[in-house]
Amino acid sequence: MGKRSKTSRKGKKAWRANISSEDIEDFFEKTTRDALSGGNLSAAPSEDLFHVDKSHDLPVKRKIEKHRERVLRVDSILKKNPFVQLVPSSKPKLKKSKKTIVIEDKAPKQVQKSVGDDSVMADLWGDDSKGEHESNPRKIFKNPSIISAVEIEHPGCSYNPTTESHQDMLAEAVAQEMQKVYKTELGPAPVPLTIEGDTLSEDERYFLDVDNFSEGEDNENVENEVSEAGIKLKENPFVQLKPSSNTNLKKIEDKTPRQAQKSVGDDSVMVDLLGDDIKEDLKYFLEVGNVGEGEDNKDVKIEVSEAGNNVSRKTKRVTRVELNKRCRQKALRKKETKEKAKEKILNEIDSLPNILEEIAKEDEDKQNKHLRRVIAKQEVLKIRPPRLGKYKFEAPPVQVLLTEEMTGSLRKLKACCTLARDRFKSLEKRGILVPSKQIRRLVFYGNDS
Amino acid sequence: MPKHYRPTGKKKEGNAARYMTRSQALKHLQVNLNLFRRLCIVKGIFPREPKKKIKGNHHTYYHVKDIAFLMHEPLLEKFREIKTYQKKVKKAKAKKNEELARLLLTRQPTYKLDRLIRERYPTFIDALRDLDDCLTMVHLFAVLPASDRENLEVKRVHNCRRLTHEWQAYISRSHALRKVFVSVKGIYYQAEIEGQKITWLTPHAIQQVFTNDVDFGVLLTFLEFYETLLAFINFKLYHSLNVKYPPILDSRLEALAADLYALSRYIDASSRGMAVEPKVDASFSSQSNDREESELRLAQLQHQLPSSEPGALMHLVADNNKEVEEDEETRVCKSLFKDLKFFLSREVPRESLQLVITAFGGMVSWEGEGAPFKEDDESITHHIIDKPSAGHLYLSRVYVQPQWIYDCVNARIILPTEKYLVGRIPPPHLSPFVDNEAEGYVPDYAETIKRLQAAARNEVLPLPGVGKEDLEDPQNLLYAGVMSRAEEAEAAKNKKKMAAQEKQYHEELKMEINGSKDVVAPVLAEGEGEESVPDAMQIAQEDADMPKVLMSRKKRKLYDAMKISQSRKRSGVEIIEQRKKRLNDTQPSS
Repeated sequence: MGKRSKTSRKGKKAWRANISSEDIEDFFEKTTRDALSGGNLSAAPSEDLFHVDKSHDLPVKRKIEKHRERVLRVDSILKKNPFVQLVPSSKPKLKKSKKTIVIEDKAPKQVQKSVGDDSVMADLWGDDSKGEHESNPRKIFKNPSIISAVEIEHPGCSYNPTTESHQDMLAEAVAQEMQKVYKTELGPAPVPLTIEGDTLSEDERYFLDVDNFSEGEDNENVENEVSEAGIKLKENPFVQLKPSSNTNLKKIEDKTPRQAQKSVGDDSVMVDLLGDDIKEDLKYFLEVGNVGEGEDNKDVKIEVSEAGNNVSRKTKRVTRVELNKRCRQKALRKKETKEKAKEKILNEIDSLPNILEEIAKEDEDKQNKHLRRVIAKQEVLKIRPPRLGKYKFEAPPVQVLLTEEMTGSLRKLKACCTLARDRFKSLEKRGILVPSKQIRRLVFYGNDS
Repeated sequence: MPKHYRPTGKKKEGNAARYMTRSQALKHLQVNLNLFRRLCIVKGIFPREPKKKIKGNHHTYYHVKDIAFLMHEPLLEKFREIKTYQKKVKKAKAKKNEELARLLLTRQPTYKLDRLIRERYPTFIDALRDLDDCLTMVHLFAVLPASDRENLEVKRVHNCRRLTHEWQAYISRSHALRKVFVSVKGIYYQAEIEGQKITWLTPHAIQQVFTNDVDFGVLLTFLEFYETLLAFINFKLYHSLNVKYPPILDSRLEALAADLYALSRYIDASSRGMAVEPKVDASFSSQSNDREESELRLAQLQHQLPSSEPGALMHLVADNNKEVEEDEETRVCKSLFKDLKFFLSREVPRESLQLVITAFGGMVSWEGEGAPFKEDDESITHHIIDKPSAGHLYLSRVYVQPQWIYDCVNARIILPTEKYLVGRIPPPHLSPFVDNEAEGYVPDYAETIKRLQAAARNEVLPLPGVGKEDLEDPQNLLYAGVMSRAEEAEAAKNKKKMAAQEKQYHEELKMEINGSKDVVAPVLAEGEGEESVPDAMQIAQEDADMPKVLMSRKKRKLYDAMKISQSRKRSGVEIIEQRKKRLNDTQPSS
């Protein structure tokens, strides 16, 4: 603040006008204000202004205790009898109170820690014993990767390698490159982005749309029809397929049983359409044919005709002779199957050691397979991480000198200048980062060259 | 009911309950992807591969407990705070309120990773075990160019450089370096600290580039964590040497980019200060307010050090009691380049060689200001040079290529320098990380090195016998001069063996003659017996009087070979003696 410009103080009036009485007025104002408000605050002793509230927060406490001390009527009655021990109807919430205590304990600790953080540098592991004793709330998950953080390169990648190891490494690099080439060559051709041809005019496009629509409808109709037909067929296959089934059966008769089976296979569509019952019947007939040859053919014919007639509800009466015959045959068959089963069991008993051996062998095979799988997995983990995301890990190219680049001089060495990529790939390889397909646009800063 | 069907309201089970996808995790934590990534890196949480991927193969899965672990991280709250603060700044900027923006930027909330390091590495050993990646990353970023586009500030690069120098200074001071391998990618080092093998890779001295397939944001987050980790580790290591950690360096040397040298001097000065003059330290601790003054004093102290002496050697006497606990290997490493003085030419990788030489107990200097000793120093024994020919040659020193240093270090012996001389193509640089026995194939040069090692070991042992005979093949004569004594020992052994064999043969013959007179070919046997007896005698007596004609062809050739190798060896020794004589002549004159 500069000096106030001096004005003339000539005469009483001028004197009065030019001398400020601000401070005096201020003082008067202040004193009146203090007087009105009940004394100057700054002058008052602190006891007057503040007081320490030593009284307990009674109402709150009483409320809680009231709640706690409420005694159930049941209990009060029981209490009268001194020989009866009370079983508390509800457990006091001990756990919660414990927890609050723990939190109180922890709070100052954390404060201390944060204070420690503020210092510039401190020995983090000053008390190593503490690190072991301090119970970690959670064990830190260590990355299970077997791959070391800094993988040491093959001796062939030395700046001045021996010829043998260098050749090894070169071969590997070449193989890596060729694999890429083959992949592109042998893989499917990429879908072209554009297709040759004339562009469609708008009218044609409308036609196309209409066509598509109608075709779609047609297709639906056809499908419906087909499905309906299928249902019908399943419901009563004999009605519709009578002629075809008959012819089919006749064919089968002519052939030897083996061929017949083949033909069944060939005409599978037919047989399938016939439904399961008919298939079984067929098998049955074939078996019969196997057993008794000449005379049974007749039978089969009859049966077939019967099957045919069955549909047309025109059955021939079975004679007693025939019935007897059938009975006999049935018994015979039963006997035969029994014998066969017996023989089979006997055989199996005989070959028990073989079976045991087989089982052991199977077990061993299984074990081996499992082992192989585990080992293969381990091997794979050694060279690349588990699949963690959308993209697979791609190994970076091997850094090896070409033969003409080998000079043996450290000064002339054509060294790798993309170590950042190497680090990044290493992180991906160890499963710390998720492999990503980096598509970063290159930024061009004008044309310098 | 299909197996995967789960009624509503029922708890999830199995992999569905244990894992969640990344996007689920983001929703759960209420953070954006960027923040989530940072948090994961800093906390050391990795994606996992569940046995059954519920949401499909194209998702990344995290364990539910991992995410819960992140949820309770105080840093998460801090990150959120920072985010909101950034919004404030942005708002101020958008309102053209530059002053407020600047003010806000000065008071930005910051966070620290100390607690996380303690959490992830409960003990110091744990931290050392996981140091490989950290060191490699910090070394890499120490040479990257600062870039606006990649958000890499100059400050961080400098910090990385400082940390690497500190680390290297410790390694060289404690002689912890064990192996070095120069590959195309870079230089691999392996050190052993507290029984932990730490391997790291440093780039070659060429410009590293930013490639567009690398997400530098992620790498920078890693770097942030690693910088903190390495700082704490350096702190601990320096304190184990009784040296104050954030080192105060000689500003002159720092300006000359000789940080490593400055650091080693600092370490020497301060540990010496503790031993001899504890006042300096006292002033440090008691009066923190006149810290600058003591800094000045320390710098002065560093200046007082005789410049030609490297730090490593000065302490051999003074710190004897302290370094009793060193293991055998450290002692070997420490004394490998003892009493040798190296001078580095301009074109060799200075930082790497400086680290290696000092770590193995040698003294080193280089071309340029601030170097401990000048190029014309007489006591320099080896001049490291990587040019086709040296300009001015000092006869008192050997001019070798840098590979010699690395090979010596890996072999743990001083290799003969013949093959590494200036202008020659040096022998192949072998990887010390390969176990040749396990590999099954041993390169030729590895074999020769092995032989030399054996010879060096024998040198210390008392010789079994003295003899001039030598049955080694002439290939070995190259380094015969250097290893003459050892080779003599070997030759003596060989001779002994041969004598024993011949004796045995002789006895057998005698027995044959005594036992059965009617041998199938008595004439021949007798003749041979007669020949062999004088032959053996002759070798034993070193007399060449017996006519050669009497010997069998095999024996005769052997004898000739012996003679030739003897003469060669003698000439080799003569050459070396002459050289030595010349050296002795030149040294006093110049």
